[in-house]
Amino acid sequence: MPYKLYRRTFTKLSILSGASVLVLPGCSDDAVRPSRSVTLTADERELLERFAEVYVPTEGTSLKPRSEVPVVDNIEHAFALMDAPTLEQVRIGLKLFNYGAILIGLHFARFVHLSVEQRLAYIRRWEEGMEIQRGISTVIKKLVCYGYWKDIEAGRAIGYQGPVSEAGGIPSIGNAPMPKDRS
Amino acid sequence: MLKVTQPSEIPDAGLTLDADVVVIGSGAAGAVTAYELARSGAKVVVLEAGPYIPSDQFREHTATAMETLYQDAGNQVNTTGDLPILQGRCVGGSTVVNAAACFRVPDQVLQNWREQHGLDNLSPEVLAPYFERVERNLSVHQNDPHEVNYNGRLLIEGAQKVGIPAAPISRNIKECALTGHCISGCKTDRKQSMLVTYLPWASELGATILSGTRAETFEISDRRVTAVNAAASDANGKVKPVRVEAGLVVVAAGAVQTPLLFQRNKLGNSSDQVGRNFACHPSLAVFGEHEQDVYAWVGATLSAQAGDVENPLRGGYLLEAGMVGPVVTSSWVDGGIGRDFVEFMESAKKFQAAVTLIHDHNVGRVYLDGDRKRIEYDLDERDFESMREALRGTARIYFAAGAHRVYLPTTRRTTIESADQIDSVINSLTNGKHRYRMTSYHPQGTMRMGADPARSVVAPDGRCHDLDNVYIPDASLFPSSLLVNPQVTVYTMASYISDRILARA
Repeated sequence: MPYKLYRRTFTKLSILSGASVLVLPGCSDDAVRPSRSVTLTADERELLERFAEVYVPTEGTSLKPRSEVPVVDNIEHAFALMDAPTLEQVRIGLKLFNYGAILIGLHFARFVHLSVEQRLAYIRRWEEGMEIQRGISTVIKKLVCYGYWKDIEAGRAIGYQGPVSEAGGIPSIGNAPMPKDRS
Repeated sequence: MLKVTQPSEIPDAGLTLDADVVVIGSGAAGAVTAYELARSGAKVVVLEAGPYIPSDQFREHTATAMETLYQDAGNQVNTTGDLPILQGRCVGGSTVVNAAACFRVPDQVLQNWREQHGLDNLSPEVLAPYFERVERNLSVHQNDPHEVNYNGRLLIEGAQKVGIPAAPISRNIKECALTGHCISGCKTDRKQSMLVTYLPWASELGATILSGTRAETFEISDRRVTAVNAAASDANGKVKPVRVEAGLVVVAAGAVQTPLLFQRNKLGNSSDQVGRNFACHPSLAVFGEHEQDVYAWVGATLSAQAGDVENPLRGGYLLEAGMVGPVVTSSWVDGGIGRDFVEFMESAKKFQAAVTLIHDHNVGRVYLDGDRKRIEYDLDERDFESMREALRGTARIYFAAGAHRVYLPTTRRTTIESADQIDSVINSLTNGKHRYRMTSYHPQGTMRMGADPARSVVAPDGRCHDLDNVYIPDASLFPSSLLVNPQVTVYTMASYISDRILARA
């Protein structure tokens, strides 16, 4: 299945690997507005968990423990913001990454079943791989970053202040007055 | 606050409005045009596809802002998928979520527009009073010393050491509270976006502003658009028809949505240029790690600039000192994986940060593929060379400022460990899809302005060549990219075109 999937999607998945500033590509025309509930599959959850485990290993560091951040739930929320065709492509990409470890990676096991060292090495190969591999690995990294760093306290652990205006009692100065003349 | 008619307030049966002018889009171009025409006594209706979100609802949280204030929840990308193209999608448009940087279009670009596109009317002398007007109206000023944070001072100091021009940046802001949350919307209304300036002024002069109302079709009669049909979508998914009959139509939906609207209506395209000539200032972020804390995200989002902005056609680039929170920090630059990534983020407060802008060529295209929009744009080889120069300049500045490591925005962690490695590392970079973590903040150029109707969509006075009563004042009309942040030039062109409309009325 993964090899067939790879061939089928190789030329179709260009949009998948967008990885915008925060989340993922979603290039619907405005007429198609995404707004629905999306539930990650057990496979998707496991993949994202296993990826986050090696990508953001917080144990013994000053970062907020990953176990205290709903990383995958946050990603699920991000999925709900995508239009249906993009979401489908993203899901295919996650499968490709996970199952690609079997044949493309020659591990004969899915990504989620690899050891920590194997998973790190697998990600590094995709970072330097073909265009689509670079794109998909970047998407997953950005998803995990979004899922983890969306948490305000995770930011505060590295010295980022987060929201400040309300806490600081900074008032609105309101609308600017209309110019008196047009010159 | 702003008086806005929201979809929930529109009857289920819909709404028909009669106006002198219907303006599609409430961002930089739409808001200015609405105000200028309302000021002359015209009855103006503004249709905005995005929601109205008052500033007191801004959360100062980047992820939330992306979901609520940005086009496609911040996920609009090129067809290749390696270039996010950020635009505001809310009342006030991108002016609500930009970082307030203000520049006039470089004279060299105007000269090119005159020579290559027949825009003899757009001389610096003609445009100067329009620039002055919008700059005065929007409190544009060069950052005062207290508005230049440590990150900005490092950029200026490093640039001076290596002989690159640098200065505090100019912004449209009043009494800046230095929260660092410009791109999430200014919660305390210090940034002089359209939300607190031209839109409330237009409203005060009688303009009607509809949010959540997306223009879809035009009714046409003999080279004139006689009515615009729109759809207002409320929070429950109910869609209500809105029809606006007007003598004049201003399309100011931005460089992505404006051409799509014309394409959807198969309109205005005798030149076959609608949607073509897309440019977007593909931008890269670069971090320089220092021994001491920098806290680049504290203070003005953009504080200082470096580079040769007067020479965009000769490879000039622009660097802008700025950084936002960890969601973006972790996405702009690849810090590695595992322990490398954790240490990278733990060190983020020690990063000097800037983004690069280049004068890219108009090699892209915006079009509809069924009901899906496509933004075809890949980095041109000529622009890649400009980008490398910008990276080289940034690295030189950072090391001169005292950084001991520079992180480049590649899709796999790439660092420069000392100044003498700069050339070898930068020279090893190659152009290619999914090799860099680029972002675009400035889509432009899909409805090119020009004197020749066979080569352009918009005439020198802002009117669509093919239509007698349709004007386009947004960034889509730029015949080439600017290099600099475009908002002030958009305001200026909208003011200029408003005067052309009034002169013709």
